[in-house]
Amino acid sequence: MFKKYMGIYVECIKISVSTAMTYRFNFLLDNFIMLVSNTLFPLVTLLIYGSGAEFPEWSLYEVLLIQAIFTMSTAIADIFFGGVLWATMRHVIEGSLEIVLLKPVDCLFFLVASTVDFSSISLFLGGGIMFAVALSNIGRVSVLMVLQFIILFIAGICVMMGISLIMAATSFKWVGNSRLPEIFDSIKYFGRYPQNIFHKAISAVTSFVVPVAMIGYFPAAALLGEANVIALAAILPCIAFMMAGVILFRHMVHMYEGVGG
Amino acid sequence: MNFLLKKLKVIKAVALVTYKEWSAYRTHAMVSIFVGPVYFIVQYFIWSAVYSGKTSLNGMELSEMLTYFGVTTLIGYLTMDFADWNLQMLVRTGKFLTFAIRPIHHRFFALSQKIGHRILGLFFEFLPCLLIFVCIFRINLRPANYGWIIISVLLAFLMNLYMNYLIGMTAFWIVQASGVRRVYLLLQSIFSGGLVPLVFFPKALQKLLLFLPFQYVSYVPAMVFIGRYTLGDVSLPIPQIVGLQAAAVVVTALINELVYRLSMKRFTGVGA
Repeated sequence: MFKKYMGIYVECIKISVSTAMTYRFNFLLDNFIMLVSNTLFPLVTLLIYGSGAEFPEWSLYEVLLIQAIFTMSTAIADIFFGGVLWATMRHVIEGSLEIVLLKPVDCLFFLVASTVDFSSISLFLGGGIMFAVALSNIGRVSVLMVLQFIILFIAGICVMMGISLIMAATSFKWVGNSRLPEIFDSIKYFGRYPQNIFHKAISAVTSFVVPVAMIGYFPAAALLGEANVIALAAILPCIAFMMAGVILFRHMVHMYEGVGG
Repeated sequence: MNFLLKKLKVIKAVALVTYKEWSAYRTHAMVSIFVGPVYFIVQYFIWSAVYSGKTSLNGMELSEMLTYFGVTTLIGYLTMDFADWNLQMLVRTGKFLTFAIRPIHHRFFALSQKIGHRILGLFFEFLPCLLIFVCIFRINLRPANYGWIIISVLLAFLMNLYMNYLIGMTAFWIVQASGVRRVYLLLQSIFSGGLVPLVFFPKALQKLLLFLPFQYVSYVPAMVFIGRYTLGDVSLPIPQIVGLQAAAVVVTALINELVYRLSMKRFTGVGA
């Protein structure tokens, strides 16, 4: 079973790579646009610090570290789960999800696997460079900190996956709304900045209810040696969030009537 | 007079149809009622933190900064435009042919469409967000001068249309112009002042931006709202900057017409 699914996934990745190679100019342009448009928000941080202002108790490189991690997480989510929403939306509009449902594999798995798209690979590399620059300017990092970072970063990816699936599930009911990602992008915006700038009630929500703080802030805090009990406790809601996405998506597939519209 | 009445009739007919067409998707527009205020809340906390212990940054106070972000969001709802996407699609599919043979200029049709579309934006995006900003967030949204801000927003409305139409016309040459569109939108999002007031950019860049069209879409109307305009050490009184904005709109319109005439010589009506 596992072998079969791995085989399908590898085949899907091969198809995605060959598609990118066929339409290489478009692929390069997509990569360029993804990179530049997502590096806009660190630009604001640079302009703020360039004006002689700062986020209280945060140095430029510490803030950039949060934003670099956020960028890498965004890139990974875009590559591996970014296409689920659009594929689901198209199938719901056309009433063609049956084509996927008829296949002898899990519907959600197939949608995730067949929409892998490497257009954000440059974004990941850009985020990685930013991450390396920020990291080299924040002082010593111990092995324990790196371990904590990896665990929290994976938890952040779970949140991203949860968000993608919740959006895809929503598109079953809110048909053809291309502005759906804007709603979640605006919520994710809270995860891009040091959480101590927000009101306590807001940071409680961004840590435990819609845990967007895990996408950038908590993993960065781990590398800064500030991963506390709250950061570790916030892993649970992240997993719950991802599970909620999976359950909601499956529920919507169950309700799907295949009429299109 | 007859000519003007006829034009008004066309605007009314096209705007009404567009309004009705997009009313079916009004919940799409209503996404802004959630997204606009959420972004504003984040901006509020970012700038409150950045201003802690400071009264002014690059000549702007915190209250002005919050007004700036509120106003740019609201102006965006009134001036939003997709003429570039529409025109490019029409050229690529060859559907532009049906417009080329109509007795009205397609740009005029696009303007009428935009009026209808933005009246919908006025009801489902602008007014709800205005109420939220004023009644819940308590931002000062009283313009320095009502007359100048109305003129400036109208000019920004036209500027956005003309610039986007110009980008859309690249499709007559390169057919699949989505790349050009995306690069332009990216530049516009940075240099129009929507991201951060342009006075935060390095001085040399500010001086360059003085000569580019981007500022007239968002930064200029927002500063007209606040009541003073500075960019790259150049400060202008409000009537002068609005005059400059009007001149920029006229120049862009003229370039637009020139490129349109060149496009018509190239257009084959076949599509791609």
